[in-house]
Amino acid sequence: MVEHTGGEFVREMMRWHFSPETGSPFWLERAERLDFDPLTDVRDFEDLSRFPNVVDELRDIGVRELIPRGYGEKHEASVYESGGTTGRPKAVPYSAEWHRRSVEWFSERLDSHGVPRNVDWLSAVPTGPHNVGAMAIDTAMLRGGLNFSIDLDPRWVKKLVSEGRADVADAYTDHLIEQVGHILVGQDVGVLFATPPLLERLAQHDDLVDLVNRKVRAIIWGGTHLDADTRDLLRDEVFPGVTMVGGYGGTMMLGTSVERPGLGDDEPCVFDSFAPYTTFRVIDPGSGKVVPYGERGQIVVHHMSRSALLVNNIERDHATRIAPVDGGFGDAVADVTPVASFGDTAVVEGVY
Amino acid sequence: MLSLDALGPGGPYRSRRQETIGDFAGNRVATLSLAPSLYVTRAMKALRRVPAPPFDARIEAFARAGRAFATETIAGLTPREYQHTVSTVTGIPITVVRKSTDEIAQAAERIHHSVENARPAGAVDSWRDPRARDGAAVWTRRGEVFAVHAAGNHPSVHQGWFDALALGYRVAVRPSRREPFTPHRLITALREAGFGDEGVVLLPTDHEVAGDLLRHADLGMVYGGADVVGKYAGDRRVLPQGPGRSKVLITAETDWEPVVDTIVESISSGGGVGCVNATGVLVEGDPSPVAAAIAERLAELPSLPATDERAVLPVQPTGLARRWDGYLRQRAAGSKAWLGGDGIVDDLGDGSAVLRPAVHQLDSPFAEQLGMELGFPCAWVAPWDREAGVRPLRDTLVLTAVTTDGNLVDELVAEPTIANVYIGDHPTPWMAHGLPHDGYLAEFLMRTKTIRR
Repeated sequence: MVEHTGGEFVREMMRWHFSPETGSPFWLERAERLDFDPLTDVRDFEDLSRFPNVVDELRDIGVRELIPRGYGEKHEASVYESGGTTGRPKAVPYSAEWHRRSVEWFSERLDSHGVPRNVDWLSAVPTGPHNVGAMAIDTAMLRGGLNFSIDLDPRWVKKLVSEGRADVADAYTDHLIEQVGHILVGQDVGVLFATPPLLERLAQHDDLVDLVNRKVRAIIWGGTHLDADTRDLLRDEVFPGVTMVGGYGGTMMLGTSVERPGLGDDEPCVFDSFAPYTTFRVIDPGSGKVVPYGERGQIVVHHMSRSALLVNNIERDHATRIAPVDGGFGDAVADVTPVASFGDTAVVEGVY
Repeated sequence: MLSLDALGPGGPYRSRRQETIGDFAGNRVATLSLAPSLYVTRAMKALRRVPAPPFDARIEAFARAGRAFATETIAGLTPREYQHTVSTVTGIPITVVRKSTDEIAQAAERIHHSVENARPAGAVDSWRDPRARDGAAVWTRRGEVFAVHAAGNHPSVHQGWFDALALGYRVAVRPSRREPFTPHRLITALREAGFGDEGVVLLPTDHEVAGDLLRHADLGMVYGGADVVGKYAGDRRVLPQGPGRSKVLITAETDWEPVVDTIVESISSGGGVGCVNATGVLVEGDPSPVAAAIAERLAELPSLPATDERAVLPVQPTGLARRWDGYLRQRAAGSKAWLGGDGIVDDLGDGSAVLRPAVHQLDSPFAEQLGMELGFPCAWVAPWDREAGVRPLRDTLVLTAVTTDGNLVDELVAEPTIANVYIGDHPTPWMAHGLPHDGYLAEFLMRTKTIRR
């Protein structure tokens, strides 16, 4: 599946997803309502912008409709869902073939950061409907480690926070930290995989910070944003000497992008996607045009593999557009942040 | 351009995330580091590690810091440069900022008055005191770390947390993002004067991180509107500082004409931006002549840029000034406008506008507008009678009661929601060192315990 030119790869993917023998029921039906012919009109990455963003349609279809026929009965797919706190979540099948490939690539990226192999992992990342937990388990195994999992339900936390029940959310986080603590104390953990909020909470416990600094050689973070200042503090003050590797992923990109290795401490955290399968574009949300390198814009994700075709998906996140490595495909993204909104200042009574 | 760092327990901290503070013309004046949650959490923890200096050392450090604040170059700014900056970005008249500098310095130099006056007369301040041999009340802290969500309406608001630092709390201040200059200067001076980097910290944050200061403190104080007061009403650890809603009451047997100056001063001194500025004027009898007289006097105040030596009114960005104006008009519907009815915005033509005084007359002392406090001289004049009594005077920071009726004064002094009562011809913004502003802060910070040895 490794291609030499982007165009060749894109055309191969179009043939797979839009040929009656190999395409998914969803795309074969959906193609009839496109105002272009993917088989002839989509020749390269730039042509992907012709596709509509279909991710919202995923809420309303049976997930089996998304499995390409080309796999026959051998798809061995697992279903993962988007974060989803309101309404029905969006479900996507990941073929076993794709998941394996994604794990292998992730592992190679960890090698490039010098993350040790043959050590055990402690993964405090969501399992269940979320893909990242499976990535943790299988990546640890591929690299010769055991994985200790702590379960984490981000939908429950989001719900608590949105309902203003910060005390319950806090209690839940304490519950997670307590479990992390038991494993850190009792097991020889070499890699810690956790979300940034959990790392921040961990940082409040001096005893656990000591354990991490004594045992853990690499921390992988992902699942939520990590602002540059907090990243500096975690790396320089809380966990000095521990390699930190960030991931930026999501269900709709069928995996994750990984921090670029070898950058200086003052450089931003740059994420490279698993191209050509997953590629980023950074666009001006007003015009839809790609912004110049170094400028900020909104992230658009294309995913194209035999497993799925989810292109032109506009994420909520904003980032700085960075050139890809080695003339790769699409953009790299840096300083990813959630969309910030700036409203008018309301008049509040009182002098304060 | 100035760069204001967070002032943490490990020294100054410059974040990558920088907030730009501009003047009204849109020029960048300063950048402010905004500390992320992790920084705040670690800073708050660090404050617990080092005990406060002894009492006498704290008092001396306050005196030194106060003098430095008013007279020396601190963090690269002379007093004049500091004052000019504050006036430029906040629109507070320069003379008000200058006066406030002296007030802050004096408050620091006389801090022992405040904490000594607040101590219960029978309590000693150490278990080592010989009186504890037979058993004595010893005055002790209720915690170690105190957090403040400060306001930016007036530099003097920062005197509000002095008592906590003087009483041995380690103090963390989250400044207003609009006016961090005063607490930055003050805290730099206090650290240099002896409190050290781990005694008092400045933690500028965005709104989301602000709660972390309170979460990791033992006790805290939060300035804000009625919403903030409501939010923390049930939290014993937090002392909310809400609108002042200060008022003047004139009873029928007193002559109102000689106190017009005092009423005008109550409404407008310091630019009218303080919680001690009067918002309500209650008159037993016909309030119209009083309203007319104060409107006439307030109308004379000149519209000038805040940095002009003769400026007495606050300046705001024109857009914001217009929103205030719209809000005032909406809320003033149904009242009689004596001043400001045609608008309170006087455009200076440089992107900023003077907020001019407003005087409205209400039909009833129970009209809801009476407690409506805005950040410029804005007064609501209403009739009052004995039947209304103390009810419309509740929830008042400073009440000036121009009256000879001792029974009424008894009632006013007894009313728990009136914080201060000035009887006779005294302006509501009057304050003196060593006297409580809204009770002594020490009432919240300290407790007594019996010690016998």
